[in-house]
Amino acid sequence: MRSERLLEVKNLRTSFFTHVGEVRAIRGVSFYLDKGEAIGIVGESGSGKSVTSMSVMKLLQYPGRIVGGEITFNGKDITNMPEKEMQSIRGNEIAMIFQDPMTSLNPVYTIGNQIMEAIRRHQGLSKRKAREKAIEILKLVGIPSPEKRVDNYPHEFSGGMRQRAMIAMALSCEPNLLIADEPTTALDVTIQAQILELMKNLKEKINTSIILITHDLGVVADVCSRILVMYGGLIMEEGKTEEIFYNPKHPYTMGLLKSIPRLDLGENKRLVPIEGSPPDLLKPPKACPFATRCPYTMKVCEEMMPPYFEAEKNHRSQCWLLHEDAPKIQVDTGVKRGSIS
Amino acid sequence: MSNTNVHLSKKDKNICIEVKNLKKYFLIKKGFFEKKIQCVKAVDDVSFYIKKGETLGLVGESGCGKSTTGRTLIRLYEPTGGEIIFDGVEIGKMPEKEIHPFRKKMQMIFQDPYASLNTRMTVGDIIGEALDIHKIAGGKERIEIIHDLLAKVGLNPDHAIRYPHEFSGGQRQRIGIARALAVKPEFIICDEPISALDVSIQAQVVNMLGDLQKELGLTYLFIAHDLSMVRYISDRVGVMYLGKLVEIADRDEIFKNPAHPYTKALLSAIPIPDPEILKTRQSILLEGDVPSPINPPLGCRFCSRCKYAMKKCSEVEPEMKNLGKGHTAACHLL
Repeated sequence: MRSERLLEVKNLRTSFFTHVGEVRAIRGVSFYLDKGEAIGIVGESGSGKSVTSMSVMKLLQYPGRIVGGEITFNGKDITNMPEKEMQSIRGNEIAMIFQDPMTSLNPVYTIGNQIMEAIRRHQGLSKRKAREKAIEILKLVGIPSPEKRVDNYPHEFSGGMRQRAMIAMALSCEPNLLIADEPTTALDVTIQAQILELMKNLKEKINTSIILITHDLGVVADVCSRILVMYGGLIMEEGKTEEIFYNPKHPYTMGLLKSIPRLDLGENKRLVPIEGSPPDLLKPPKACPFATRCPYTMKVCEEMMPPYFEAEKNHRSQCWLLHEDAPKIQVDTGVKRGSIS
Repeated sequence: MSNTNVHLSKKDKNICIEVKNLKKYFLIKKGFFEKKIQCVKAVDDVSFYIKKGETLGLVGESGCGKSTTGRTLIRLYEPTGGEIIFDGVEIGKMPEKEIHPFRKKMQMIFQDPYASLNTRMTVGDIIGEALDIHKIAGGKERIEIIHDLLAKVGLNPDHAIRYPHEFSGGQRQRIGIARALAVKPEFIICDEPISALDVSIQAQVVNMLGDLQKELGLTYLFIAHDLSMVRYISDRVGVMYLGKLVEIADRDEIFKNPAHPYTKALLSAIPIPDPEILKTRQSILLEGDVPSPINPPLGCRFCSRCKYAMKKCSEVEPEMKNLGKGHTAACHLL
């Protein structure tokens, strides 16, 4: 059962047709997700990580549109699925948690009402049954005295509790897939730790698959077993969490690891930033999007898009450095296996 | 500058700024007659000092009063009580007119580079505004200074005639830094200067702040919630919780031997980008949320979430205890 495919995305391309031209936010993204698995998508703002999740949810708003590719969910092709059918999947089989719990809850309805809406819509329960279920699920996500809290409005909840309520809502129909778009970015570290712990526990309990989107490498290291690193609308590197951290193959991944200070390491080495800034996707570079910022740029990098090279099994990277004729580079990112003292 | 306010600091000439029992309460008013009904004790009895050329990192969760402390420190807010001693001079109660020359010595870099720059002014005018207000330079000299500053923060002098919307987040933050540097300050408050930036850009800005400090001998108060970045940039670190400073110590000391239970929990909650370490380490999960600063718990403010809380904790407020080597913490356990 474990290695059953839940979601497969093939060569997905999404663009936004603005008045200044076509912004190619995703330019051919392929990945898969097994049942019960948690993967992380890491990248900076504008790398296309949120647009990827919105495309999977088919929640793109005008002027955004999927231009090509295929999304298969649970064996069904949902790429061109009519909106009506999509609605029965969305919220029921695929659920989403957004970054800002403040703006994604409706301030004029009680928390209970908002959770019950999803339950009643998808499961056709009576009002009373739905309410019981809402209380049960609030309890599951760790809201104290849920019988009372269910009648509270969002403003009566704190930030962490609102995010818990969002998770409760997303989980109310026991979805197969939970997409969490920066679920902890707006929260404080101690609350972030609570929410991450909750997500890990829920994954075990109801065997939901998770796509966790974040820019924080520490967060994905905690929750996910596989990581996709996105940059300029492409997946630059994909691999098991350990591989990405201990044996990164793409200079962008290495750069990310080098540019964050480590709390646990005593030495104060100067941070190594990635110079420059991300590409403009209105006029995406025809070759490697990272070439202008990469310390190892070769001639070929500026002329041809690199294909995916397999470094190990299930570890691929879109970089010319992995070509057999390329010079071998050795980089110390500071993240090493067995560095625990 | 009047001499009556000169506070002859006997102890240390090396101290740039010192606060003693700083308090900032915000009153919540209601009704037509603005009846004062409640008060938020945003900063309550906070004391610390920053040496010249040093960086003090101030950490804590949102709502703990770290930004209010920073803003009160340079009199963007009027302090409710306590003393602020800048360069040996008490400025906490100084009238606005007399404080003007001090404003030049204290500058601030704000969190949101999208909100802190006037969108209708060119970059040159944004940086030059401070020069005009303090009547530092005019005409050709003014332009020269602006160009120098832009070069110093890694931007092109040609950028002076452009508008903020033409820049990326990292570049805007550089403009904010150039503006702060324009009046040749001694002390800069960096209020979450990097939290709105992307990871790969954060390191650029932090490195630049470090270089400028070395070059110009600046003193920083670095306010942030990202502890790993604070550890990287600070010499000393203070931890705040609900308006109180609960622990302050040298950087290495506080990260190796945190004394206060809150500091311990905070340190263990940070996700470390290393899967093996995450698997082995024991993180302390705090229950619940930060209580409201309107009705903070009696006694120790952390007692409602502290797993070591004793009876005494909810009755008596703990005092700052000296643990040696400049390490002080406020907890009854010590």
